[in-house]
Amino acid sequence: MKLMSIAALAATFAFAAPNALAEDTAASETAMSAQTMVTAKVNGMVCDFCARAVTKVFGKEAAVENVHVDLDNGEIHVTLKTGAELSDDRVAELVKKSGYDLVSIGRETA
Amino acid sequence: MIRIQTAGLVLAMGAALTSQMAEARPVSYPSGWTVMQMNNGDMSSLHVHYSPTFKDSIGLYSERNWANDWHFTGLQYNRLVQRWNTPNSQANLYFKAGAGQADPFGDGADVDLAGFVGVAADWETRRWFVSYEGRAYDLGFTQDARQAARVGVAPYIGDYGDLHTWLMLQVENQPEADTPTTVTPLVRFFYDVQLLEIGYTPETEELMLNWIVRF
Repeated sequence: MKLMSIAALAATFAFAAPNALAEDTAASETAMSAQTMVTAKVNGMVCDFCARAVTKVFGKEAAVENVHVDLDNGEIHVTLKTGAELSDDRVAELVKKSGYDLVSIGRETA
Repeated sequence: MIRIQTAGLVLAMGAALTSQMAEARPVSYPSGWTVMQMNNGDMSSLHVHYSPTFKDSIGLYSERNWANDWHFTGLQYNRLVQRWNTPNSQANLYFKAGAGQADPFGDGADVDLAGFVGVAADWETRRWFVSYEGRAYDLGFTQDARQAARVGVAPYIGDYGDLHTWLMLQVENQPEADTPTTVTPLVRFFYDVQLLEIGYTPETEELMLNWIVRF
């Protein structure tokens, strides 16, 4: 009986371990393939030249794949490279460096 | 000295045509370069500057003043003193200073140390634009000054990347000029990194043509 219990336990581990490993791998792959879009709402961005300053400053960041400016809503949409990160502090710093005032930051992960 | 002056003259002469007062925003984004060419019949100028930060720029300024017959070449520093950002507008206050040399007839024969200081301010929404600039020169052999104000309206609101058009009216005062006060209607086109202004001053029958590019 004891021998059977040990065998069952071993079998459980034998089957469960690959599943757990697979789940970890999938989660890791999801994180690695996740792409984040950061939306920064700013004050003072009223012209094309303002928008160009923002795209130049954000575009130099290694984590940034694409920058889109929405002048109607005063928003900067920054798409990060897969798996890359850009902290709120860094976003605030880049907005200030561009010459504008940060109002809020939002994030979406696809 | 003469070589620098000659280079400045060539640059100023090569400048197509544009007005001094168009450079109300003399500072670009960090690491940005700007070329401004101006001519309004009374003067031709070229300003090439580099902005290490969004608050500063420094570069070469050369101006051939045809109205009062002098030529200035030197370095110009521009400082964004204050910026006010709101959800729908932006306002700026700038300080400008230049130091270099000037000669009374633009022929390099009688060169003096020279300099100028100026202030500029603007307020802009996506529909409206207002600006002011004043500048005073000490050219050694004489002093000179001028000031100008503008109002503008955008007939349509373009998105980022569109061709932007502004209809503007400039009032300029140059106490030493034959016609001290002039009014110039002009059209500003702004596309990508280029800004072009075309205007006409009825009092003096002079064309204004300004061109600015940033990169």
